[in-house]
Amino acid sequence: MTLAIVLIVASVLALVLILTVSVSRALQVSSKGATGLQPVDVEAFRNLVDPTEDEYLRRRLLPAEFRAVRRQRLRAVAAYVRVAGANAATLVHIGQNALASSDTQTVEAARQLVNDALLLRRNATLVLMKIYVLLAWPNSALLATPVLHGYERMSGTAMLLGRLQHPSVPVRPAAHW
Amino acid sequence: MNLLRAHSWLWHVLWLVPNVLIFMLGVLLWRRGLHKQYPAFTAFAILSATGQFIVYAADLSPLVSGDNFWRIYCANLVLEGLLKALLVAEIFAHTVGAFDSIARVGKTLIRGAGAILVLAATFAAAYSPGDSHVAIVSEAHLLEQSLFLMETGLLVFIFLFSAHFRLRMPRPVLGIALGLAISACVHLGGWAYIANVAPSEEIRHLIDYGKAAVYQGCILLWFYYLLIPQKEAAALAVPPPDHHNLEVWNQELERLLHS
Repeated sequence: MTLAIVLIVASVLALVLILTVSVSRALQVSSKGATGLQPVDVEAFRNLVDPTEDEYLRRRLLPAEFRAVRRQRLRAVAAYVRVAGANAATLVHIGQNALASSDTQTVEAARQLVNDALLLRRNATLVLMKIYVLLAWPNSALLATPVLHGYERMSGTAMLLGRLQHPSVPVRPAAHW
Repeated sequence: MNLLRAHSWLWHVLWLVPNVLIFMLGVLLWRRGLHKQYPAFTAFAILSATGQFIVYAADLSPLVSGDNFWRIYCANLVLEGLLKALLVAEIFAHTVGAFDSIARVGKTLIRGAGAILVLAATFAAAYSPGDSHVAIVSEAHLLEQSLFLMETGLLVFIFLFSAHFRLRMPRPVLGIALGLAISACVHLGGWAYIANVAPSEEIRHLIDYGKAAVYQGCILLWFYYLLIPQKEAAALAVPPPDHHNLEVWNQELERLLHS
């Protein structure tokens, strides 16, 4: 009987979960709130994940102080990564809509954007998991560069897609990205 | 209460009608050339219905003994299990396969989820008391429970994975996945109750009828999503990205990168 209850509860939860995901996705598709990208301070993010800064703080502070400061910095990194991940999700949405375009160049740029955004979202998830582990052991090293590099590449692709979809509007080239 | 018995008219209707419908859907998909896009679903529609017709005929035929009926039933279950595995793979490929950046990690994760689900299904079957003194009947019901447990788990994984990455399933694939998932969840609950609680014959038939009715609803959902032309351009597609937003975002990043 216990097993039956467990399986029935599991099946009901699975059904609710699947219907919730489907309905929320449908509402998201029909909404126009897909363009809510938030700016990310990449330089501040770079400083936060810079190992030399960590090393400097480790030398200057007492171990207990260093752990407290490191945890605060990790929480700040997590906040940046969450925003980058949310932006990536928005761009997946935008890119998937652009995939329906009749122009092959736009479709190619959209596919590239979706791929880059998905990669960034994957990296953001992995880095967040790592950050949560590091919050418990703040003395370990952190590598968030995949997120940073992914974010920069994705930005370039988003710009290319924007140019292809609206060729009449001049867009400044981002040669240094 | 005669309706809640085997071989009542309702019993015939609820066994035959869904399978006639899904067979027709399979044929229609084939005739419209959609079988090239959705080969696993087309095969599932035609072969699972054919399998059910054979089991139905075996149930009615006086030439088939009780033991042989259950053997045919189990063989059909194994065939349906294989077809559903192919179908889940097809749903996953249409949802994730086109995007190289997560296809590999997705495949690794779904294989891991599959392995965990096989263990969970084996564990659940091992600890189920069974609902009949005839071994093959209990085994058939536990096989149903195990297959639906794995199917439900894999579909939940696909829905969660695509939701995490904000990936939108193509409309027909969403219809297939949604119908399959609703049917799998309801069947899992039903078979878990039947295989573990051993209810009375009437309650068992009531659960069977409920499952068949839900399956019929899912088939109508498949008809809708696969055969009725979508108003994608008008209803589904979000307007193209506002370039101003993209540029503002890019300007902000440029400023931050080069400041």
